[in-house]
Amino acid sequence: MGIAILVLMAVGVVLMLTRVLPTAFALVFLAIGIALLAGAPLDGTDDSILTGVLQTGSAALASTMLAVLLGSWLGTLMDETGIAGTLVRKIVEFGGERPSIVALGVFAVSILCGSITGSAPAAMLAGVVGIPAMIAVGVRPVAAGGTVLMGISAGSPLELPVWQFLSDALGAPVADVKAIMIKLFPMALVVGIAYVLVRTRRGARHAWAVKLERPKARVRRGDAPWYALITPLVPIVLALGLAVPIVPSLLAGVVYALVTTTKWGELNGRALRSLYKAFQVAAPPIALFVAIGMLLAAVKLPGAKNALTPIVSAISPSGGLWFVVVFVVLVPLCLFRGPLNVFGLGAGVAGVLVTGGIYPLPAVVGLMASYNQVFSVSDPTSTQTVWAAQYAGVRPERAMVSTLPYTWVVALGGMVLTAVSYL
Amino acid sequence: MTDVDLAVRLLRTTPTHENRPESQLREWAGKALAYGDELAGIEDDGEIRVVDREGGAGSRELLLAEHHRGTVTVYSDSLRRVEELARAKGWPVTREALRTAAVAHELAHHLLDVRELNRRLGHTALRFGPVRVRGHVAGAEEIAAHRFAHRRSGLAVSPLLITTALAGGN
Ligand SMILES: [Zn+2]
Repeated sequence: MGIAILVLMAVGVVLMLTRVLPTAFALVFLAIGIALLAGAPLDGTDDSILTGVLQTGSAALASTMLAVLLGSWLGTLMDETGIAGTLVRKIVEFGGERPSIVALGVFAVSILCGSITGSAPAAMLAGVVGIPAMIAVGVRPVAAGGTVLMGISAGSPLELPVWQFLSDALGAPVADVKAIMIKLFPMALVVGIAYVLVRTRRGARHAWAVKLERPKARVRRGDAPWYALITPLVPIVLALGLAVPIVPSLLAGVVYALVTTTKWGELNGRALRSLYKAFQVAAPPIALFVAIGMLLAAVKLPGAKNALTPIVSAISPSGGLWFVVVFVVLVPLCLFRGPLNVFGLGAGVAGVLVTGGIYPLPAVVGLMASYNQVFSVSDPTSTQTVWAAQYAGVRPERAMVSTLPYTWVVALGGMVLTAVSYL
Repeated sequence: MTDVDLAVRLLRTTPTHENRPESQLREWAGKALAYGDELAGIEDDGEIRVVDREGGAGSRELLLAEHHRGTVTVYSDSLRRVEELARAKGWPVTREALRTAAVAHELAHHLLDVRELNRRLGHTALRFGPVRVRGHVAGAEEIAAHRFAHRRSGLAVSPLLITTALAGGN
């Protein structure tokens, strides 16, 4: 039966890869299929398909969905109030004579944006002004797109919604997730800086180039005052430094952004408008989290667990060295919506590793966080990579080739860290 | 449209200037054009490595030429595209003149001193009482390079106008 479930998962990956089904829908069908193969009853018990998988599973990641929504709200505000744009403009004004300085500055802004919200909204927040600004001072288009992506990924260990996701999905306390992420951050930071310096070291490129598609007019926004520019730091400082829970930390950021940029009379209007816009921004990840919750519920069913655990434990590498070697070699499987992408089937794989007791919980968190560092930058099918590459005027595959050597190193670092700390 | 008008438009579409007042952009455009004029009048050996290649014309972007570390790459397919545009517009522009202008544009990037240009533009990024931090003006180099190319190549039409027309702005 375990083999049948694995075959079904492989079919699911093919359906996602070939885009026959959107990832979220494919995961729901997978969840139901796995539950059927695991012999779960239709209804009546907590381990049934209707109650356990569809009803309870759909809301299992509710805290994550709220965190994502609040992150999107904060991101929307940073865009609407000109905070993100002002940050980039200041960087260009101060460093414009040296392309590598501008790129490092946009990289830093991308870290901040990536720590607030993930995926394409973060890329847009930093990249809408940042990417053309970098190209304008002589950074090559591939490197300009890659810089924003590396920055977002370097920010993701600090991204509160990701903490909430790994905590909800794997059942780990937020404090454990935080402990791992804090160690992962410096590695992602150093490798990201290396990427930016290497890719801009070869000197500025100046071109007589004309964009043929007229770019959509950027909305003209006023300047945000200097004290509003620290908005992205507010939730990080609260959650990281003062151990405030995730939702209130993000809410504090929202309030700070609002009161530092908006006149009293306009507060309500702007707050409500940006919140509603945030629902739209957060819709794709929330749909995915509903499906991932169901998938997790399915792989945790007693039947599935009993069928999968022996197989997975037989093929899972034991010992720190083999853990690192095997999972680092498997890095490509997290790309192209592969089975190790934790915002997809990878969540189910992680669920099996946890419920089967194959590795200690923190080790699974570290493993999945390491993969997250790779596909959040280099996966040419993920929305932020597609957006950043196309906005820079290059194909997403070129962004992958440019960044993968670096993100693979970050993953290696994360795996070594995980093996040394938890195995 | 004059070159100043076209240059203001070019600055307006350069990120970081979306919100700047018209008068500010106009002043910068004038100074950048003047710097291009001045640079074109200075004697230089004009020596630069030039490589001709295909592959500059994509569906989203038309890359006429690029400069990197003293080497200029000119894209022949893009020049052909511009020649077609010139014919359609009735501009008396030959491909040879276009190539000369493209090389001159990149030569300008090779010769021009961004710090000096920024000093002339006099943009203040930050002020602490008497202390002023000079700021960079994105896009100004491009204007100076276009004017330089116009002067050196003797092209019948301003490169600024060609650029604007290609972007579908005219
Ligand atoms: Zn140029």
